[in-house]
Amino acid sequence: MRVFRSGLRKLVRRPASWVSLGLLLALLALVFLAVGASARQLESQEGSGNALLLVTFPDAYELVLGFILGLGGLLALLYAAAIAGSEWTWGTLKSAVARGEGRSTYMIGTFASVAVVVGVALLVAYGFGLVAAVLGATLAGVSTAGLNDSATLGSLPEALARAWVALIEQAAIGFAVATITRSQIAGIGVGIALYFGEQFGGLFIGDIVKWFPFNAANAAVVFGPTVSSNGQAVPTLEPNIALLVVVAWLAGALVVASLITERAEISG
Amino acid sequence: MTEALALATRGLIKRYGRTLALDGLDLAVPSGTVYGFLGPNGAGKTTTLRILTGLIHADAGAVELLGEPFGRGRRRRLFQVGALIESPSFYPFLSGRENLRAVAATGAPTARGRVDELLATVGLAERARDRVSTYSLGMKQRLGIAAALLSDPRLLLLDEPANGLDPAGIVGMRDTLRGLAAAGKTVLVSSHILGEVQQLADMVGIIAHGKLVTQGPVNTLLASSGGVRLRVEPADVTRAVELLDATGGTGAAVALDNAEGGWIRVRFDPMRAAELNRSLAQAGIFASRVEVGTDLESLFLELTSGGTADDATRRAGQPGARW
Repeated sequence: MRVFRSGLRKLVRRPASWVSLGLLLALLALVFLAVGASARQLESQEGSGNALLLVTFPDAYELVLGFILGLGGLLALLYAAAIAGSEWTWGTLKSAVARGEGRSTYMIGTFASVAVVVGVALLVAYGFGLVAAVLGATLAGVSTAGLNDSATLGSLPEALARAWVALIEQAAIGFAVATITRSQIAGIGVGIALYFGEQFGGLFIGDIVKWFPFNAANAAVVFGPTVSSNGQAVPTLEPNIALLVVVAWLAGALVVASLITERAEISG
Repeated sequence: MTEALALATRGLIKRYGRTLALDGLDLAVPSGTVYGFLGPNGAGKTTTLRILTGLIHADAGAVELLGEPFGRGRRRRLFQVGALIESPSFYPFLSGRENLRAVAATGAPTARGRVDELLATVGLAERARDRVSTYSLGMKQRLGIAAALLSDPRLLLLDEPANGLDPAGIVGMRDTLRGLAAAGKTVLVSSHILGEVQQLADMVGIIAHGKLVTQGPVNTLLASSGGVRLRVEPADVTRAVELLDATGGTGAAVALDNAEGGWIRVRFDPMRAAELNRSLAQAGIFASRVEVGTDLESLFLELTSGGTADDATRRAGQPGARW
């Protein structure tokens, strides 16, 4: 528990926490306000209806969450990789182990603090994204009457909970990769490669890749089949199955990170 | 191994691939002493310290910390051990105080107020709120020593603690460590600053090629290593040893097996070195060099390189020589 509380204090003071959140908020504002501001031009173009959906409630509730899950997933992966990698790069894990702290306890406690920060960031970003969508709707002259849609509001807690699990699963993948590479930079690099590699692989072997961590994370939150840019349906898992797969990846990543840390010869 | 020993290792072996880093190391560090752990680069000092702090595991051998066995599954033995291994490790974006609090959140519980007390002890109270990324090397080193002292350990393991410290910092560190030893705690200091170790340590252990070369109280080791060294023509060594034995006592003179040859070490009062020189001269053997007294550096070089300080200096100056 001491490691967890200390981990939270460290993350609050860590510039990467604020930079990651700031980046996500800035992009949310940019996208939703830009859609609202350019609504008149969009009206004259084919497909403008899809763009305006971003600022049309109640659909915007799901689309804001989808945006956060997409970009936020990558940020969560990089953020967790940076945190786990720095424990090796800066030698701070060495200090903890030399004081008799349990290796797994330390890494899991550290990850737990990351999971809490990711959860808080999700709520902040979601609230911010909804405000941006409302502003975008106002700029576009789209009605915000759907804000009070009771069915959507009722499903929000579960959707947010699923999104949190999906985000921390992606964070756990980054955390495990950085633990395996024992380096901040290598962890981030390999994490990025895995993330985009999986997206790319989905174009060719979708039936296999749908079981992979990032595709499963998206499927656990987004209901119904997604559509790729070329209009072909990309296979996805059923949401509840996807959630189980996500939990399995999350647990597996943490077990790997723990085992690697337990067995590692720590130097430097 | 007994409880009179704060730290003991027996037959410690560690390999890195095909490299044998520790070759049956036997250490015995009595409680309440300052123990200087010396050895050339690559001798196995840091490997030993890593094993003693659970960072790596020995391939064979046993470790006893504070009277009890230590190894896998016994990490709580480290609750009574403080360590500074290699360079101090901190979060650059946190202040000195926040870093110590982060360290205090691991391992043994730390007394309330201990962080500020130690910041004052190591002279960092005024910079406690500044980010560690703005600290100098010496300040980081002092913070590292403070971190090692957090849980008021009974055994302190310090790897090059004087690294980066200014003269005032070294004096302060020495006083702190002597104070800890006076309070019954045990301090093991690994260092290359031999003069500093000679001033600080009660005992030294010298390691070379993963093995303990010698170990004992500093004064005893220096006395037993002989007080006078003479150099004669290599052809005269045997006769000179007999003459010097006659003057200094049987077994007092030993021919040193070094690269140049001709060196003889005599266990003899350095203040009476002229008597030795006279006895040789009367027999027609003339010493080209007479060196008196033995400091830790001479002893270290003699034991780890098989020659004198001058030998080592000369070798370092030769083409192709390495540090």
